[in-house]
Amino acid sequence: MAEIKDMQRLDDARRRLLTLPAVLFILAFAALPLLVVLAYSFMKPATYGGVEWQLSADAYVGFLFQKDIFDDSLTFSSEYLLIFARTFLFGIATTVVCLLIGFPTAYYMATRPPQTRNWWVLLITIPFWSNLLVRTIAVMFIIRDEGLINTVLLSLGVVDQPVTMIFTDFAILLGLFYSFLPFMILPVYASLEKLDFRLVEAGYDLYASRFQVLTRIIIPLTWPGIATGSLLVFIPSFGAYVTPLLLGGGRHLMIGDLIALQFGSSRNWPLGSAFSMILMAFVMLALFFQIRKNAGGVSHG
Amino acid sequence: MLNVKKEFGHFQAVDHVTLNIEPNEFFTLLGPSGCGKTTLLRMMAGFETPTSGEILLDKRSIAGLLPNERPINTVFQNYALFPHMTVAENIGFGLKMLGRSRAEIAPIVEEMLRLVRLEGAGDRPVTKLSGGQQQRVALARALAPRPKVLLLDEPLSALDLKLRQSMQIELKRLQAETGITFVFVTHDQEEALTMSDRIAVMSKGRVLQVGSARDIYEHPADRFVAGFIGETNFLEGAIVEAKGKVARVRLKSGADVAAAMAEGLPTTGDVTIVVRPEHLQIAADKDAALCATVETVVYFGTDSHVHLRLADGSPVIVRQQNRRDGTRPPDVGAEVGLSIPDGVAQVLKD
Repeated sequence: MAEIKDMQRLDDARRRLLTLPAVLFILAFAALPLLVVLAYSFMKPATYGGVEWQLSADAYVGFLFQKDIFDDSLTFSSEYLLIFARTFLFGIATTVVCLLIGFPTAYYMATRPPQTRNWWVLLITIPFWSNLLVRTIAVMFIIRDEGLINTVLLSLGVVDQPVTMIFTDFAILLGLFYSFLPFMILPVYASLEKLDFRLVEAGYDLYASRFQVLTRIIIPLTWPGIATGSLLVFIPSFGAYVTPLLLGGGRHLMIGDLIALQFGSSRNWPLGSAFSMILMAFVMLALFFQIRKNAGGVSHG
Repeated sequence: MLNVKKEFGHFQAVDHVTLNIEPNEFFTLLGPSGCGKTTLLRMMAGFETPTSGEILLDKRSIAGLLPNERPINTVFQNYALFPHMTVAENIGFGLKMLGRSRAEIAPIVEEMLRLVRLEGAGDRPVTKLSGGQQQRVALARALAPRPKVLLLDEPLSALDLKLRQSMQIELKRLQAETGITFVFVTHDQEEALTMSDRIAVMSKGRVLQVGSARDIYEHPADRFVAGFIGETNFLEGAIVEAKGKVARVRLKSGADVAAAMAEGLPTTGDVTIVVRPEHLQIAADKDAALCATVETVVYFGTDSHVHLRLADGSPVIVRQQNRRDGTRPPDVGAEVGLSIPDGVAQVLKD
């Protein structure tokens, strides 16, 4: 018996060895840079970018307060907080819109015959074949004043002035929605595809209306997919940089732009690092809730 | 109650089926897989729409009603229990959807748990139950809203033999206690014979015969029914004389047999007669009219099946009870005589 146990231990150790390359890679290229960013966020900005090796919480203080240039007194400033809130709202709005559009799409896909389902998955993933920047610029071409939509509307005589869509909040939301929709559809589709549709029949058989079948059977059973999809949309749209910059015209900053600004023309690396850390804390919080919710509910593989 | 037809493309799944199911009846649709019995059941439940025809419940058409508008519940083949709910939540689901209050539902759920002998299991998740227990929950869930008709789609097929036999008795008891009409679908003829008040034998989308278990076993309407229900011997021959409901048939092997004959069948020409294996008797007398050679003897405990071959080459099976008085089945290779008592053979409609 002891021998068998020893063998198993040896086996386990060998298997753990297999994960070594991945662990080393993650340590070197994910954990280390994060630590650097964390360290930078507690230092003082150097005049021409970079940091001075002096411990300071100024960056975090600067997130909420403004230092008076003359007497160094702190006054509460909501500017950065507002940008954060705005970004948060955009993230939530993108997630909600993606869910409202993505869920029915995924449902449609999952109810197709098995042979045609893979074609739908392919169609959904096609946009990923081109670069995010290219796709965002494509959206610009469609919605700008001289773009496709306005040209059509003008030539049909529906409007006599181009409808301003680009550089508005609508444009940002549209861009984010377009970029991240597949992240919602695919996980929701994956869980809907596994759903036993006989349960739906059982629901109807037991006097549930369409709406009740949706809310009491389909949604609870596909909740893992919905939660995963929502996170996969929320996290990248919360930290989006290219889309708000191009489609929003940089008029209203979002966190991503703000961080880029600190590392770029503002040359305040510690502040940029602090923003990154705060952003990450938010995302971790969201992940934490998701994990807790999943662990608490009944697992249905 | 039912008069329907269902086509899938050019395939006629259910072909002009007319059935009349009585209230409080245990009615079984019996047939091989693909005979249309499940389609018929799904039309009653409302999951399929008949291509043409009517479905009446208490003389009112329900063909246009959605499944959730019909006072009919189903026990699904693989139970289809809601995995995210407890046993009690599953059982109470139908009542909840009907808008009953929690105070009304709780005692009914308790009663149902008692009825299916799962007292105290209400708070358990259904995923932690054994197959037999899940089966009971599925039954309780379908019975809780007190439907007018309960449809059961091969509910016992996933259970092992022992459990299946005890559930057969259980189902019969539940039906008697609740007084609800049960429509049971199965391909297992034994299941059908033991439980049903009446059975409809189906094949290729048609109903071939409707009757009690005894009716169908003893007076099969045609060759398919005779062959599908129980074991049967088919013997070829020609009618020599037909008098009322009895015909004298001369078998190909030479013997004359008196066979019951339904009215309306042709009174001359070649026919097939059917005799159940337990009705044939082996006689030691080798000079009997019907002679056969023993090929195999299979011992089954309570009885033995003796496989024989007649002089004309057709196979015959005889079922003999194993008694303790010393009568033993004949030896393999022995020449024996066979006798067919009057009234056990029947002329078949081909």
